[in-house]
Amino acid sequence: MARLDRAAGWRPRRLAEKYWLLALGLAAWELSGALGLTDPAFVPSLSQTLSATRELWERAFLFNHVMVSLTRVLIGLIMALAVAVPFGYALGRAFPAAAEALGPLLRVFGLINPYCLFPLFVVFFGSGETPKIAVLAWVSLWPIFFSTLTGVRNVDPVLLDTGRSMGAGKLTSFLRIVLPAAAPQVFSGLRIGVGMSFFILIAAEMTGATAGLGWIIHSAGALYQVPRIYGAGLCVVALGVGLNRFLVFLQNGLFFWKESVDPLLGAERPSQGGKRISSLKIALALAAFLLVLAVGVHEIILAEVRLNDPTAIPEYRVWSR
Amino acid sequence: MDTMPVIRLAAHGPQKAERLLRQTLAALGLFARRYASVIGFLLLWEILSRLKIINPIFFPPFTLVLDTILRLFETGVMGTHVRLSLMRALPGFFLAALVGVPLGLALGTFFPRLKTSLEIPLEVLSQINPFLLFHILILFMGIGESPKIAIIFWACLWPITFASAHGAATVNPVLLKAGRAFGLDRLGLLIKIVIPATMPHVFSGLRLSLGYSMFMLVAAEMMGASGGLGWLVLSSQETFQLTRMYAAVMVIAFLGLILDALIRALGHRYLTLSLEGFPNASEN
Repeated sequence: MARLDRAAGWRPRRLAEKYWLLALGLAAWELSGALGLTDPAFVPSLSQTLSATRELWERAFLFNHVMVSLTRVLIGLIMALAVAVPFGYALGRAFPAAAEALGPLLRVFGLINPYCLFPLFVVFFGSGETPKIAVLAWVSLWPIFFSTLTGVRNVDPVLLDTGRSMGAGKLTSFLRIVLPAAAPQVFSGLRIGVGMSFFILIAAEMTGATAGLGWIIHSAGALYQVPRIYGAGLCVVALGVGLNRFLVFLQNGLFFWKESVDPLLGAERPSQGGKRISSLKIALALAAFLLVLAVGVHEIILAEVRLNDPTAIPEYRVWSR
Repeated sequence: MDTMPVIRLAAHGPQKAERLLRQTLAALGLFARRYASVIGFLLLWEILSRLKIINPIFFPPFTLVLDTILRLFETGVMGTHVRLSLMRALPGFFLAALVGVPLGLALGTFFPRLKTSLEIPLEVLSQINPFLLFHILILFMGIGESPKIAIIFWACLWPITFASAHGAATVNPVLLKAGRAFGLDRLGLLIKIVIPATMPHVFSGLRLSLGYSMFMLVAAEMMGASGGLGWLVLSSQETFQLTRMYAAVMVIAFLGLILDALIRALGHRYLTLSLEGFPNASEN
């Protein structure tokens, strides 16, 4: 039912209302082992999980693996954006006939299972970083492409007519009307694409990788190190929530004139606008983005070096078995 | 004897036979025009591979792949794998629908406080990657069918839940006011107005989830199974039988298309409706 959310401010009562169930769940997790409800061999308590995470951080290069995972997503995303957005705008705006003709083929491509592609990409690209990034790019390509196409097609014709009546040429109306009007849709596609590729990434790292969060979980599973599975899993969940929140925050701030997006449902909240993001925050987000990319590429190279020269850090050698 | 149908058709008058022919041709023409890009792609694949412009070891010609699919079906190999895979994907999907739709309706309708306190836990739960779950569930359930069905359930649950919740939360308030004016109580509002108005969202969630279920299925079968379509893809790749790999990939894609068509046919009434209950301009 349409319901106006109360203005979100720092209100203890609202915070309590929001977080009590989570706190209860975490407490139940912590205590269930001690109370004998669950077997601690299979379900380590929260504190054990946290100490496993800390141990991973201190002794098994957790930071390195997180950065490697994030960078793979980012590179795949950049590649997908570079292809999908121009093609989406071009097909939606300049060549609608081509979009009509190619539609079914593109939809079939979008349906192709990325896991089916993984063996294929391994055949082509070998077993390095390339097949993983190619799969991630493929996965995020289609949501971005299709939502760009929809966004460009559904630009309000009144806006275009208004622009024309003010004497806007083709280029001006593209730059000043179509581009910004479709941008929220593009961003929604991007959000879905990031979610999907983060999701796939973990699987891709499980099947054939030597670094990354998925790999930690997989190797811990193979070695039956249960707390480590949970410890790395905690990171995956935290990273997923963080990524989702960050993107929703960016979307609501950048497209403040649209209805804001609900971080849980991933859909627009009716009758509630966003708040404009300051340019300082945009700059900070961009800087963070570039920093993650730079550090991550460095870490990927480092991981390769460590793997090829295991004598450098013996701990890693044990871990990469 | 062969001419009998023609004579029988002719007895109804030449116009009718002609019309039938023309209609068939028109339908074929429409199909060809609509799917020209797909047909063109397959033709290109076939020609390039036959002429060895692209390496036929990596890209076996399309007809060869088709032939392999038929042969695998004839020997019953493919049938077994398809059955195995469906027996994993469909129970997971149906369970998710059974849990997700009521959960979504409850979240989106009459329990705003429930939504406030469930939001964060659900967001955390929905970020638990099914593959992470797979590794944990194996500890409990062993390497059988149940962890696979469980992760498919998990992956399918969230799109259904969130789509239903969003749909139920955005029911046109005018409809609700009208219902209240007619004296409906909360249960009446739910049954007569909220549920029907949410159906388009529910079906789009179901459609998304069905896609996810195929997706997860293949992944789960690649990670640890001794049968099923995902296993067939992986084992064909490992033994470098690329034609068989393409065959399995095509069967998976085709199965996905069929399931998608099925759910679209089931929800046709709802998928073509927009939020306000008016038909959408375009079907997709």
